[in-house]
Amino acid sequence: MSYIDTIADNKDLVTPGMSACHGCGGELILRRLLKVAGPNTVICIPPGCMAGAGVVGWSFDNGLKVPVHITLLDNTAAFLSGVTNIYQRQGRTDVNMVAMAGDGATADCGFQSLSGAAERGEKMLYVCYDNEGYMNTGFQRSSTTNRGSRTSTTPVGSVIPGKPQHSKNLPYIMAMHNAEYVATASPAYMKDMIEKIEKGLAASKNGFAYLHIFSPCPTGWLHGPEVSIDVSRKAVQSDYFQLFEVDKGVWRQTVANKKPITLKEFVGPLKKYGHCSDADIAALQENIDARKSFLQKMIG
Amino acid sequence: MAKSTVKAVSGNTAAALGTALCSPDLIAAYPITPQSSVVEYLAQLVADGDISATMIQVESEHSAMSVVQGAAATGARVFTATSAQGLALMYEPYFRMSTLRFPMVMAVATREMTSPETVWSGQQDTMSVRDAGWIQVYCENNQEILDMVIQGYRLSEDKDVLLPVNVCYDGFFLSHLTERVEVPAQEDVNKFLPAYKPDHVAFDPKRPMAIDPLTPGNILIQYRAGHLAAMQRALTKLEKVDEEFASVFGRKWGGAIEEYRCEDADMVILTIGSMTGTARVAVDIAREKGLKLGLIKVRYMRPFPVEKIAKALEGKKAWAAVDRSVCFGWDTGPMYMEALAAATGNASSFSVIGGLGGADIALQDFAKVIETLVANKDKPGRHKTLWLEKPF
Repeated sequence: MSYIDTIADNKDLVTPGMSACHGCGGELILRRLLKVAGPNTVICIPPGCMAGAGVVGWSFDNGLKVPVHITLLDNTAAFLSGVTNIYQRQGRTDVNMVAMAGDGATADCGFQSLSGAAERGEKMLYVCYDNEGYMNTGFQRSSTTNRGSRTSTTPVGSVIPGKPQHSKNLPYIMAMHNAEYVATASPAYMKDMIEKIEKGLAASKNGFAYLHIFSPCPTGWLHGPEVSIDVSRKAVQSDYFQLFEVDKGVWRQTVANKKPITLKEFVGPLKKYGHCSDADIAALQENIDARKSFLQKMIG
Repeated sequence: MAKSTVKAVSGNTAAALGTALCSPDLIAAYPITPQSSVVEYLAQLVADGDISATMIQVESEHSAMSVVQGAAATGARVFTATSAQGLALMYEPYFRMSTLRFPMVMAVATREMTSPETVWSGQQDTMSVRDAGWIQVYCENNQEILDMVIQGYRLSEDKDVLLPVNVCYDGFFLSHLTERVEVPAQEDVNKFLPAYKPDHVAFDPKRPMAIDPLTPGNILIQYRAGHLAAMQRALTKLEKVDEEFASVFGRKWGGAIEEYRCEDADMVILTIGSMTGTARVAVDIAREKGLKLGLIKVRYMRPFPVEKIAKALEGKKAWAAVDRSVCFGWDTGPMYMEALAAATGNASSFSVIGGLGGADIALQDFAKVIETLVANKDKPGRHKTLWLEKPF
């Protein structure tokens, strides 16, 4: 089935009236993820935008049409480990075990349980929607916030101009866990993203699968909601966010960057980088180049 | 009753044997002194195919409690064990286990809390979390540990209760002490403990629901009231479970409290955990000297047996409660503080704190307690705390 048919034909399992911001990457990713996974799925969503936007329900109402549990911010992969092990015991391997968590719940306080579950090879698909900060609570910095970014806890002051440190490269770290499948994806490259969700679900029947998906945030990054997909595309074109997969240890770039653009063209519309000097951009570029070179070495 | 097997085992092995007999679906474990040999023993049973449980060796106690929580949400019978810092680390999912009303048993080889840095015995770990919604039972010996694991699952899974149970026993004093233990036959345990089938929760596309959506205060208060009501029902249930246990296995532990030589006593010592064995001897010696002394072994801290304790203390002239932990802010031990709240009248009473950080509570310590009881006997009201200090 072509990815367009998948999107057109499969049922949207997310409530039509969720309260995510206009142009939210997370909402789009969740809708696509569940379209591919289908109704025979259980999903864990920790506190964050997707929980806050009402998809795990409010009062007696439920925002998803599949069983959902709002896990703790830091135990999503561990909780789902318990669930998946019971399903494996019962021989119910057809049920998809899915987690969808933001970068804070994944790279920061949730990282220990995530790393543990990946090392144990727990059969699940863990999806991180990376909007580079704690956006649900007002854009505080996370370890995936990039250097120079303005956040509410790394404000731009006369002495310190935004976040001083580079981000943690989580997909690389996850790839070093001997996982069945690790990949990055972007909502601007929907065919690539849908295929990776499909591969991730298939891999989750044999072991741990991890997807790291770029998730634009108009509210936090301060760009128009209408350019979210454009921002997502430019992130890939500038190599700020590279699309690759690691399938049973084999690294592959899935979308070749045929028309590279400069980093300035990507950061331009994002006011969170609006204060950055040429030197700040150069420092960010240096990190991007190092990542690019690492990926090339791994592909070989 | 089918024939039980007599073994000489440590408290940790007793906890593991009790757990194995309850046929858990899933065990998650992380090592910590003095608990580790509980899960080591269970891991060996799994490795040898003696029990069919899924064993998950996690990377922390936080994840141990989270993994069993996920499994419990899926309807499984689960187990883990911990001590001190491990219990502190798992506090977040620990509180949620009880407030999600998921039944389970967790053994705790109780241990002093750091700082000062320590790995030895004490009850500060479990006492500090007694208001996290779990049932807490404290054991005197290794037989009681094994039996309470089995009783614990029965109580926990009762549809009128649905609360997780901590089986607490003194680290090292019991966890590493070898004693004679009767290990019941599997068929008897199966008779006593039916299979667990939850109907209040499912995490299953066949019965889709949102588990724990955001809950406004007007609903949340009902959850809390329901939880507290279940605790009160547990107070009655645990007595019934103990009686039914006795009818199958021939051993009865006395329910929420056990009274020893209290009938004609005018002075009473309250104890908790393994110190009770020494206290029994101290009471016998005092009786030989003509003192009218009795003993109340407090078995359950949660739910706290308020009425039973009030009744047991009724008409007594003086009482003292010996704690192996402290209640910061009250200058007393926690069990004393709660017994004081339960007691009616204005009898002479004082708190005793000892056995911290692995220190022993010996006969001479109880002699000091008895001496102070006698001195305070005719002076009603609260007296200052007696610290069982040891020379450096």
